[in-house]
Amino acid sequence: MTATPAVRRYAAHPFWQAVAIMVGAYVVVVWVVPLLPGSAIVPKSVVLQYMVTVLVGVLIYVSDNEERWARFKEPIVAVLVEPRLRVARAALLVVVTALVGLIAYGQVATTVAAPPNLRSIHPAPPAEITFRGRSITLTGLENPLRAHPDSLAVYLAEGKSVYYRNCLPCHGDHLDGQGHFASGFNPLPANFQDNGTIAQLTESFVFWRVAKGGPGLPREGTPWNSAMPKWEDFLTEREIWAVILFLYDQTGWTPRTWEKTGEVGRGKGEGS
Amino acid sequence: MIGALLGLGIVLRFPLPPSLFPMQDTTRGKTVYVKWCAGCHGDGGAGDGPAAAHMLPRPRNFTGALYKIRTTASGQLPTDADLMRAIDEGLPGTAMPAWKGRLSDGERRDVVAYIKTFSSFFADTSQHVAALKFSSEPGGATGAAALDTGRQFYDSIGCRKCHGDQGRGDGPSAPTLKDDAGFPIFAADLHQSWRFRGGGSAADIYHRLRTGLDGTPMPWFSDLIDQKFLTDEQLWRLAQYVRSLSPPEAPEVRDVIHAPQITRTVPASPDDSVWGRVSRYWFPLVGQVVRKARWFAPAVTGVWVQAVHDGHTLALRVSWDDRTQSPDSAWLGFEQRVLETVAGDDSAPPKAEPWPDQLAVQFPRHIPDGMERPYFLMGSETDPVYQWRWTSRPRKSVAGLARGIERFDTLSGAPAGQASFDHGEWRLVFTRALATPDTANEVQLEAGRAIPVAFFGWDGSSGEHGSRMAVSTWYFLALDRPTPPGVFISPVLAMLVTLGLGLVVVRRARRRGTAGAGRRR
Repeated sequence: MTATPAVRRYAAHPFWQAVAIMVGAYVVVVWVVPLLPGSAIVPKSVVLQYMVTVLVGVLIYVSDNEERWARFKEPIVAVLVEPRLRVARAALLVVVTALVGLIAYGQVATTVAAPPNLRSIHPAPPAEITFRGRSITLTGLENPLRAHPDSLAVYLAEGKSVYYRNCLPCHGDHLDGQGHFASGFNPLPANFQDNGTIAQLTESFVFWRVAKGGPGLPREGTPWNSAMPKWEDFLTEREIWAVILFLYDQTGWTPRTWEKTGEVGRGKGEGS
Repeated sequence: MIGALLGLGIVLRFPLPPSLFPMQDTTRGKTVYVKWCAGCHGDGGAGDGPAAAHMLPRPRNFTGALYKIRTTASGQLPTDADLMRAIDEGLPGTAMPAWKGRLSDGERRDVVAYIKTFSSFFADTSQHVAALKFSSEPGGATGAAALDTGRQFYDSIGCRKCHGDQGRGDGPSAPTLKDDAGFPIFAADLHQSWRFRGGGSAADIYHRLRTGLDGTPMPWFSDLIDQKFLTDEQLWRLAQYVRSLSPPEAPEVRDVIHAPQITRTVPASPDDSVWGRVSRYWFPLVGQVVRKARWFAPAVTGVWVQAVHDGHTLALRVSWDDRTQSPDSAWLGFEQRVLETVAGDDSAPPKAEPWPDQLAVQFPRHIPDGMERPYFLMGSETDPVYQWRWTSRPRKSVAGLARGIERFDTLSGAPAGQASFDHGEWRLVFTRALATPDTANEVQLEAGRAIPVAFFGWDGSSGEHGSRMAVSTWYFLALDRPTPPGVFISPVLAMLVTLGLGLVVVRRARRRGTAGAGRRR
C-alpha cells in the first residue's frame, strides 16, 4: 500500500516514462526480436539506429507541451543543482567522463584485423573453354542432356550419384552449402537453394564453374581462395551435365536460358 | 518483467512436441526419404547410398534397427522422439546435418514413420518402447569433489580402456575397436564435446552412459546402478567429469591470431608456463577433397594455435588431439581397416604403412599488400608458398617452398621445432627469427601486419600421408606491438574536456536554479 502512490508518481512523471520507454525499447530490440520466428540477433549498429529513433520520438513527446517539458527537466536540473544530490552529481560526472575516455581509447587503439575479402560473385565467363583438350563454346550452349527428355530420369539418377560421391562434403545434403567440410573453407561453398546462385545462371555458366573450379576463376574472382576443385580432373563432360541437371531438379530452380539471337544480345543470361 | 518475456520466448521457441506424432504418412515419408536421405542411407535403407563409401562413420543402416542415440534401454528400439531428435539436430561430428529448418515438421515426422518400415522390429507392437526414467542433474557440477568422484568412476568402470587416461580416445583397446557392422570405430575424443553424436551437455552424456551406444563397443551402465556398483548420482558425476574435459562452449573460429609481445625471450618449449597465459585460437581442419588423391576421413579435426614474440623472434605453438604417437605398430591393423573402409580416388585401397604424424604451417613468401594470396592449398607452380613442416619420425622440422601438394623444395634455413606428446595430444612449438637473410623465399614477419597463415595435419596411424590430409583455409597472424604512450593522449584530452564542460553545466544550472527556485515557490 505504501509503495503504490510512489510507484504511481514515478509512472506519471514524464522523465521516468521516457526512461522506461528507452529501457523497454532496448529489451525488445536486443532480446525479444531475436526470439521471433525467422529473425536473428540484431546487429549493434542497427540497435543504435533504433535507439536513436526511439529517443527522437521520446524527445518530441516530452517537449510537445510546455508543462510536460518543464516536469521532464525537473529531475535533470535537480541532479545538477540540489545540494542533497551532491553524491549523484559527482557520480554522474565521473561516469560520463570515464565513458568518453573509454570510447575515445577504443577509437584510437589500433588492432590488426583481417583484410576485407571483396570478390565478384559471378565473374564474366569466357566465350570458350578447353575441356580435357577439347574446345567447348559456352556462348549459347544448352545442357545437351535436355535434348533427350525420355532419358531424363536416367541422367538425373546419374547426376545424383555424382553429387553424393563428390559434392556432398562441401555443398551439403540440402544443397545449401553447409556440408560437413564447409566450415573449413573461405569463401563458403555455394548455396544452391539461394536465389542468388544457380537460379540466376545459365547451365553453361555452371558447367564452366564446375569444370574449372577455383583455380580457373578469372583474376577478379579471387582464384587464390576458393576450394572448388577443377572437376575436369575427376568427372567426364557427361557427368558434369548430369550433376547440373540434378542441382536444378533437386532445388526446383530453372536455369536461365539464352536470349533469342537478334534480341537484347549479350544479356544477363550470360551470368554477368 | 524480463523473466516473463524470457518465459514467453521459451514457449515460442520450443513448442511442446505433439503427442506421439499422430498423423504420420509413410507414403509421403518415402517421397521425402528418396529425395533427401537415400543419397547416403540408400534406397533400401541399408546405409549404402552413393555417398556412404566415402564416410567414416558410415550412414545408419535402418534395416538393422540398431540406433546409437536413444533414451531407451540397451538392446531396445528407439522411441519416435529419439529418431526425430537425430533428424532434427543431426549427429555432430558426422556428415548427418540437422534437418530442422530444412524440412518441414510434417516432412520430418513422415520420414520417421518411413524409416521404421525398413525393419520388421518396429512392426512388432508387442514390444513396448519406452524411454528410461532419467533423474535430473545434481548441482555442484564443477566442484572439485564432484569432479573427483567422476574421475574415480572414470577409472573404476573402465572408461580409460578405450577413451584413454586423459580422455582423448587413446586407450589401450582403442586400436581394436569395430562397430557391429565390422567398420573401424574411434573411441570418442572426450575433449571435443561439440562433436559428441548425441549432444555435448552433461545431461546428454549422462543419457549416453545410461543407454549405451548400441551397435558400437560403448556399453550401457544402467545395470551397474541396478547392481549397486555405483549410484545414479555418481553416474551423473562421471558425466560432469567427462563434460569438464571440453571447453565450456564449442570453440569459435576467429580470423586473426594475436601474438602479444613479451619482455622475456620467447619460449621454445611447448610446456613453458607462458603458454598458460596466452589466448589460444581454434581452427577447424577438413578433408583434402580438392586434388587427387582426395581424403574424406580427416583424423585431425582442428588445431589450437597460440603465438608470442619478443620483437626479434616468433614462437608459434600448435596443439592438436591425436590418438597415436605415429608410427605405432599397435595401430597398423586399424589403419588398414580405415584405408579399406573409406573410398578415395585410388583404384585399390592403399596399403597401411607406418607413416609418421605431420604438421605444416603455411605462409605466403611475402606479406601481400592487397587481398591476393597464393593458392590456399599449398600454392602453385608459379606462386609457391613458404611452409614449416614437422614430422614425428624422424623428429624434425624443415622449411621449404611448396608448389602445389605434390612438390616441396627444402630451404636451408629451418625453424626450431620442439614437440611433446602427452596422452593423445601433440604440442609443437616453432620458433624463428622475425627477419631472415633469405628475403626472397622466407616470409619476413613484421609486427602490425595481417600475415596470412594456414595449417595442415596428418595422422600417420589413420593412413594419412601425402595428399591424404586435413587442410585449413587462410587465416591471419598478427604480431601485436605494445601500445605506444602517445595513444593515451587523445582519450585523456577528451576526458578533461568532458569533465570541464560538465562542471560548467552544473555551475550554470545552479546559478539559474537558485534564481528559478525563487520564482517557483
